[in-house]
Amino acid sequence: MANNSRALDGVFQALADPTRRAVIMELGKGPATVSQLKKPFRMALPSFLKHLQLLERNRLIRTSKSGRQRTCRLETQTLAAAESWMSQQRAIWEARTDRLEALVTTLQSPESSS
Amino acid sequence: MSTHFDTDRDLTISRVIKAPRALTWRAFAEPELFAKWWVPAPTTLDVLELSLRPGGAMRTEMRNDGGPPEPHMHACILDVEPLRRLVFTTALQSAWRPAPESAIMITAVLTLEDHSDGTLYSAHVMHRDAAARQVHETLGFADGWGTVAAQLAGLVEGMT
Repeated sequence: MANNSRALDGVFQALADPTRRAVIMELGKGPATVSQLKKPFRMALPSFLKHLQLLERNRLIRTSKSGRQRTCRLETQTLAAAESWMSQQRAIWEARTDRLEALVTTLQSPESSS
Repeated sequence: MSTHFDTDRDLTISRVIKAPRALTWRAFAEPELFAKWWVPAPTTLDVLELSLRPGGAMRTEMRNDGGPPEPHMHACILDVEPLRRLVFTTALQSAWRPAPESAIMITAVLTLEDHSDGTLYSAHVMHRDAAARQVHETLGFADGWGTVAAQLAGLVEGMT
């Protein structure tokens, strides 16, 4: 469950950026190639690819290559998990517990903290 | 008093913390320590009041990016067993005054038990199902992902 919540944290982080949100919304209409997705943005391709990589790493999208074109599609299961209110609550409390543990452990051995 | 676990509306989290119970309790009882773990960076928490007695207030404000303080939480402490258990609810404010209708109403039971490796921390968080739906709708899950995503970040950053 802890892993699940960390995965969700990644999802929320991925969705916190406007470019990545726009990509998600666009892919909501159906699969699209990288060049199609890139079109509305003025940023350089490497920067745009970084956004796509972050989305893929957090399993919000999946990509596949066919010839010279890379096609992106939504990972609907991940989105469904993020959509669950209870999952969000769990993620919040798991993360909170992580911080409590880190804090108290640091108090326990102050010499080992940075 | 023991609490009943409702699968649909409750969540529980347990963690063994490698530190003594008394030390772990300080993270609940001392405002400056409480502020360090309750919300994630870069949001910071100002603890205005933390009165660990039945009816006592748990009142906090949060700041994003060093900005002005924003409302965060005004909860009522329901029960305290020092070093062992803290129960609070956001359905009430301090001195048992009913809270205004708010999106998130919870009762949380936080317990500490001795464990061979230190302390067993458990949180049992009870939600009001109507509130869950309300939040869901408020966040605009039906309206498309733009709204959702924009709000999600805020939700994760700040809310109880």
